Amino acid sequence: MPIDLEDEVLQDFLVEAGEILEELGNQLVDLEQRGDDKDLLNTVFRGFHTIKGGAGFLALDPLVALCHIAEDVFNLLRNGEKAVDAHLMDVILPVLDSLNDMFDSIRAGEDPADADPQQLENLRGLLNTDSAAPAASVVTSEPAADDNDITDDEFEAMLDAAAGNKPAPAAASETSDEISDDEFESLLDELHGSGKIDTTQASASTEKPSAPASTESASDEITDDEFDDLLDQLHGATGAPGANDKKQVAEPVKAEEKAPAEPEKEKKAEKPAAKKVEKKEEASKPPKTSDKAAAKEPAAATETTVRVDTKRLDDIMNLVGELVLVRNRLSTLEGSVENENMSAAVSNLDVVTADLQNAVMKTRMQPIKKVFGRFPRVVRDLARSLGKEITLEMEGEDTDLDKNLVEALADPLVHLVRNSVDHGIEMPDVREQTGKIRNGRVLLKASQEGDHIELTITDDGKGMDANVLRGIAVDKGMMDEESAARLSDNDCYNLIFAPGFSTKKEISDISGRGVGMDVVKTRIVQLNGSVEIDSTLGNGSVVLIKVPLTLAIMPTLMVVLGSQTFALPLVNVCEIFDLDLDKTNIVDGQQVVIVRDKPVPLYYLSEWLANNFDRDSLNGRGHVVIVSIGTQRVGFVVDELIGQEEVVIKPLGAMLQGMDGMAGATITGDGNIALILDVPGLLKKYARRF
Amino acid sequence: MNTRVLVVDDSSFFRKRVTEMLNADPRIEVVGSANNGEEAITKTKELKPDVITMDIEMPVMDGITAVKKIMAALPTPILMFSSLTTEGANATFEALEAGAVDYLPKRFDDISKDREDAKQLLCSRVKLIASRRGQTSSSPVQAQKRDVTPVKKPLFKKKTVKGNYKLVAIGTSTGGPIALQEVLTKLPKDFPSPIILIQHMPGSFTGAFAGRLNTLCKIDVKEAEDGDSLLPGHAYLAPGGKQMELIQRGREIIIRITDPKPGQTYKPCVDITFSSASKAYPGKVLSVILTGMGADGREGARALKSTGSVVWSQDEASSVIYGMPAAVAEAGLTDNVLPLTMIAENLIQSV
Repeated sequence: MPIDLEDEVLQDFLVEAGEILEELGNQLVDLEQRGDDKDLLNTVFRGFHTIKGGAGFLALDPLVALCHIAEDVFNLLRNGEKAVDAHLMDVILPVLDSLNDMFDSIRAGEDPADADPQQLENLRGLLNTDSAAPAASVVTSEPAADDNDITDDEFEAMLDAAAGNKPAPAAASETSDEISDDEFESLLDELHGSGKIDTTQASASTEKPSAPASTESASDEITDDEFDDLLDQLHGATGAPGANDKKQVAEPVKAEEKAPAEPEKEKKAEKPAAKKVEKKEEASKPPKTSDKAAAKEPAAATETTVRVDTKRLDDIMNLVGELVLVRNRLSTLEGSVENENMSAAVSNLDVVTADLQNAVMKTRMQPIKKVFGRFPRVVRDLARSLGKEITLEMEGEDTDLDKNLVEALADPLVHLVRNSVDHGIEMPDVREQTGKIRNGRVLLKASQEGDHIELTITDDGKGMDANVLRGIAVDKGMMDEESAARLSDNDCYNLIFAPGFSTKKEISDISGRGVGMDVVKTRIVQLNGSVEIDSTLGNGSVVLIKVPLTLAIMPTLMVVLGSQTFALPLVNVCEIFDLDLDKTNIVDGQQVVIVRDKPVPLYYLSEWLANNFDRDSLNGRGHVVIVSIGTQRVGFVVDELIGQEEVVIKPLGAMLQGMDGMAGATITGDGNIALILDVPGLLKKYARRF
Repeated sequence: MNTRVLVVDDSSFFRKRVTEMLNADPRIEVVGSANNGEEAITKTKELKPDVITMDIEMPVMDGITAVKKIMAALPTPILMFSSLTTEGANATFEALEAGAVDYLPKRFDDISKDREDAKQLLCSRVKLIASRRGQTSSSPVQAQKRDVTPVKKPLFKKKTVKGNYKLVAIGTSTGGPIALQEVLTKLPKDFPSPIILIQHMPGSFTGAFAGRLNTLCKIDVKEAEDGDSLLPGHAYLAPGGKQMELIQRGREIIIRITDPKPGQTYKPCVDITFSSASKAYPGKVLSVILTGMGADGREGARALKSTGSVVWSQDEASSVIYGMPAAVAEAGLTDNVLPLTMIAENLIQSV
């Protein structure tokens, strides 16, 4: 069937099934721990069942074929005819990956490829409970997509069922301690008595399938193409919200709480007989709602959530951005006009704009859980394939950040976590020998610190040896022995983010090609974030990532070079001071300034970015902005400092696309255009040492 | 008045699709939807729909439990959406037993390759079962028990001689699974003749249905296989998606299962099996047409009559859908019109 992405039916399917798939990922990992949890098994069964149903409607046969067998497997499991074991999980989990791949194909507008016959075969192998074992050979020859036929196997199962071993209907008594969306729904239903008007909309969860995920899980390294994609995405994300809409689907704006819907009127009209029942229900309700008058009120607010296409949110964000620009412009104008009323109005506008900006940003916020959610699976699979024993802990999963950031962070985080598991944590035996517990620990933590988000990935593995890293840097010809020796230990750890640096002697399929970390860093820096690593030999490593809360609006430091205004992202700026340029030293041909006993290389931004610059015009004095990139610091000499300003990032036009050192442009408060500098890119392009 | 429908499914995707398909019919109006059984019960009480479409697999409360509760609280015609699997079949039979009127495959492609046809079938099915409203009670069987005043003596129009029949043939469609269950469970293990059953049903269902009947009945029930000989006290259910005929092989009469020919609407088809039976046992067949939509069985009954066999049909009051029994009755082919609860008794007396 040709895939028509415009088709609303298909979109509906992708949204719903995508949500289910995402939940399935977590549920399956949970299942490994709680294999006898009936409710969980039922939920997983229904998950496959629902996807199959939708896929069947759309004639997506490969999906149907795969889900059909998975459904059968879980039917056996939920009926207690088979038990969950590691082998089963090894077969089932890749099914999820295949489904995800098929989804990606569909999202890309392609027909999904047929399921791997081997995989179907493996799955069918699981269908054989002991009694049905002889039928195996017959079963395997059955065509996959055919669910009209009863296989011998099924017939056996049916006979079993007929013989009195009848499968219990899936009357799910909710005893599990984990609450799924559905269960939450039902809880709400119970709470508010029977009679919700329509939860169709309300039940739409916030989950959304994120496309890049499976790309990453499918291959361990980031290819050039992917990297390009990634950069494209970034440009889209930073500049033109909506440019990467292809992958986005409608996403609900979450209201604080789902309001109860109480069809009291309906109920009143009912016969006395029904009333008795109703009274009972009411008695079990919280006292507040048992009051009829009070109960009537929430009835008005039936639906408090609405699905909104992210494109709309992007548009709104864009408009708010424009508003911020106008506000900036007005603030500037206000300074030149002496009018008290004007000032009051402008400062009012200032407050409202800030609030609006915050409010809109909140609508775009998503919990980082969306990214974290996949890690239990990633860690589990990897640990299993490496023969390691690892516990993954997660903290601050509810930390909210911009949707685009959530998506953009997914791949780098996966890479870093894989790295921790692969390189960080030792084999269980080695751990025991060094006096550690066999079980390694990886901690994934997110928290909001002021206007940025901090993410840490901590492992209690072997840590890194600074001297080994120095040696590698020399071996790879990245620096000579002397400069390597001069590096601080911390600098050495951060060498792993350098291009072409890999400590692994052999290339494994997990990591060790020396491509990943470099890309990880580039990507995070592109998000105006930073990444650092610290380590203690023998005790593990910590990777610290900082990213801003949002990508659309950025606090900057405005500086002037020549006659032009430029904006330096404030995240990079450490300090500003005036400098007597004569008090600088030349080391190895590079001008440096000593800041608190540390030499900091000094660059003249005007030399790079302004016309006809002459150092002498500075008359020996200059404004220096110290910026940090990772652990490194450099000083930029600028002509003039304007001050701090929040700017809305606008993408550069097609002609300037891909210019090194420029992150975008913005309109300043005085109505001029300022280029936003991309510090790492700038250094890479102009400075010798970067 | 429009047929008011409540759509119950845990998948918003399906709720939406079913709603779209139903709302496309100007005579049908989807008045609400529910995403689990519990909500379905509440909505049923609240909206009092004419028809409910019900999924089986749902969280909180599954469709079967919901059917039971709805039929107990506020009997409403329910159309089940089933997976065409063994598991789906068993669940569907449970739902039918609980009081659901009919079922359709959840994969619309299984209804018809043409989406438009599937839509029309769904809509016509919904409208038809809506017309049953008022006659539905907690269970069709119980309803009939209540509705029908016990008839002491079988209502024979024509004297039949016991032992005159070599074969009992029963054909049915909508409402048939429960009707067959009602009839066959009452037959003793030593029922003197073989029974052939033709129930319109998809291929993946008949095996499970036969198995189910076999556990419930004293007589043996199996899905007919090619080459089966006909034994007394055994019932042979025509496999879905195929055609069943009786043929002479040597001195014996055996079952022949063939693939359907293009253009045959019903698989299995009552007409085809009945016609073959009329040749295999001329004048020696007692045939019964039970509840069902359409007119399949009329031509088969005509063939049977022409060789002197006997045709009974279910009465209107006890039929879930009075289509097939009406067709034979209106064609003047039926010898005896019986309420469902009387059929087994009459079979025992006559055969």
